[in-house]
Amino acid sequence: MALILIGLNHRTAPVQVRERLNVPEPKLPEVVRSLHEIDGVDGAALVSTCNRVEAIVSSRTEDVITKVVDWLAVQGGSDRESLENHLYILRHVDVVKHLCRVASGLDSMIIGEPQIGGQVRSAFQAAQDLGALDGLLQQVYSQTMRVAKRVRTDTAIGEHAVSIPYAAVELAKKIFGDLKGLQVLLLGAGEMGELTAEHLHKQSVKQVFVANRSYNRAVELAERFHGSAVQFDSIEENLATCDIVIASTSAPHYVIEPDQVQRALEARRNRNLFLIDLSVPRNINPDVAGIEGAYLYNVDDLQHVADANLELRQHKARDAEQIVVREVEDFRRRLVAQDAVPTIVELQQRLEVIRAAELEKCLRKLGPITAEQRSAIDLLTTQMVNKILHYPILELRDGAEEPQERESLRKTIRKIFGLAK
Amino acid sequence: MNFDAADTIYIALAFYVLGTLTVLISLIGKSMRLQHAALVIMIAGFGVHTMWIGTICARTGHPPITNLPETAAFLSWTIFAVELALWIRYRVYAAAFFVYPLVLLLLVVTAVVGEPFAGLPPELRSTLFTSHILLTILGVAGLMIGLAFTVLANAQDQALRSKQRGRLWEWIPSLNVCKVLSYRSLAIGFSVYTIGLITGVMWSYRTNAGPMDLRVKQIGAVVAWMFFAALLQTYINGGYRGRRTILISAGAFVAIIISILGIARV
Repeated sequence: MALILIGLNHRTAPVQVRERLNVPEPKLPEVVRSLHEIDGVDGAALVSTCNRVEAIVSSRTEDVITKVVDWLAVQGGSDRESLENHLYILRHVDVVKHLCRVASGLDSMIIGEPQIGGQVRSAFQAAQDLGALDGLLQQVYSQTMRVAKRVRTDTAIGEHAVSIPYAAVELAKKIFGDLKGLQVLLLGAGEMGELTAEHLHKQSVKQVFVANRSYNRAVELAERFHGSAVQFDSIEENLATCDIVIASTSAPHYVIEPDQVQRALEARRNRNLFLIDLSVPRNINPDVAGIEGAYLYNVDDLQHVADANLELRQHKARDAEQIVVREVEDFRRRLVAQDAVPTIVELQQRLEVIRAAELEKCLRKLGPITAEQRSAIDLLTTQMVNKILHYPILELRDGAEEPQERESLRKTIRKIFGLAK
Repeated sequence: MNFDAADTIYIALAFYVLGTLTVLISLIGKSMRLQHAALVIMIAGFGVHTMWIGTICARTGHPPITNLPETAAFLSWTIFAVELALWIRYRVYAAAFFVYPLVLLLLVVTAVVGEPFAGLPPELRSTLFTSHILLTILGVAGLMIGLAFTVLANAQDQALRSKQRGRLWEWIPSLNVCKVLSYRSLAIGFSVYTIGLITGVMWSYRTNAGPMDLRVKQIGAVVAWMFFAALLQTYINGGYRGRRTILISAGAFVAIIISILGIARV
């Protein structure tokens, strides 16, 4: 049985090629059905994200490759030759390895990104719902998701934020733990500030307060976060009640000074205060960082956190690759053993029939013998058969890497021992 | 060679040595899997340790509290029990780097001094005496865990302030969790420890017709109480960070250890 993956991704194809092949989710069942209907395809699945389109098929022969490439060209509305320049074709165990890497986020543009695992799961689930997954693809699917889960659990590769807004959320969690019940103050309407407030809002903070020079703009923004608008002049009062402050104004001077923070912390009875200064020029006096209980991070600090996290993810990716290699090798061994089982059983039955018949003939010639003698002869012949079968069985289980090689070996052994084709 | 149930303490010690080494290697290699392995090994040691304590209770009819090796072993067991309970509740991995070596150290004291299974003289068999020892040990266990979390809270504060991740960054929970756990452990440990000391004074008064002897054990216990009181006061004032807290914590730790080592025999 051949397992084949044909596809392109952000490294092999520019966006103008990828966008033509991209399949929107509602259309996925229809497209997978047409892939499954290609002559010679036994099982089919299609992974389509903004960064990759990959058709995975199982078939009795590799002849389907040409047909699937033609099918992709039709789907993308392009000619076969130009599409072929961007395509990669993987076979057998390389397909499993690739899928495990993809689902674990190791092949993503941002290493370890968590969404891809869900996208691969949805793709296979859609194919399963259509009945397009055969036995082999079912096994590939469960193996892929199992490895992806193990990579994420064992290496925690996706847990470190690699963008400035997420880095701010991660730091807030390092300070406060659970963000539920916290209050956030957003100063100004800068884009990065908005994005950070949005991420914090998604973490179920209790309330987001927005202060802006234009009160109307503050009201507008506050509505987006189901929060409240406050007057820009009342910042100090809000410093005492809010736990996280995001400064993102266009003011050319500091809007928060150390003495304001000092007073706020006293009013807060020394509960910590996290201040995020995303403005350039900066809006929070850097001396605030020296106050006990106040943690100040500016845009450069957050960028450093994001960079360090990216480096950490790359380090963890090396551990993840080792997990993938080990798991894929185990899977390959299981598949080979599974393939070999019918031939091994037939081989054992065939030799047992020969042994039993020859033993019967021999016993007839020998005449009356004792039970012990009969048992000894029986044991002798059984051991001989087992020893004869030892190497052929070993070869069938572990002898060949590639499916064609395995098939050829299987045929040879069947021929030598006179088994039906 | 005859195996005595009392020898199980050496099996527990072997598990603790292995668990502590594993946790320290996990810190160097930043391996979560090794952390888990260390925890499993320590739990195995804890199981054997529990059997040893059960054996002592069965043979002597009282908890292992009559001399230094027994008390050190019992304290070590209690500290790990508290650490395990906190791990189950909060999944704090970094505390292991402090607690496992401490648990090991205390059991090493037991193994080196090695005179367990002492019978309690009849004049000491009183509820007041048993309460004194049990409450003091439980209080010390809480205070030790509180110290470990104070160190973690300070490490986390330093990392956040300097914007440099230390080696412990990934293992330490949020600053808030460290702060809450250290405060609670110190507050509960201090209250229990204080009651333990008071019952000790009462017992001493009853048996010696005086408030108490002034030996290393007693002086160490009172000095440790003063350090912990100062530490708790610092927490109540909101200032758990900085050199002063660390110095007080170190003083409290040293005083407690001196007090424990001062327990030659009740």
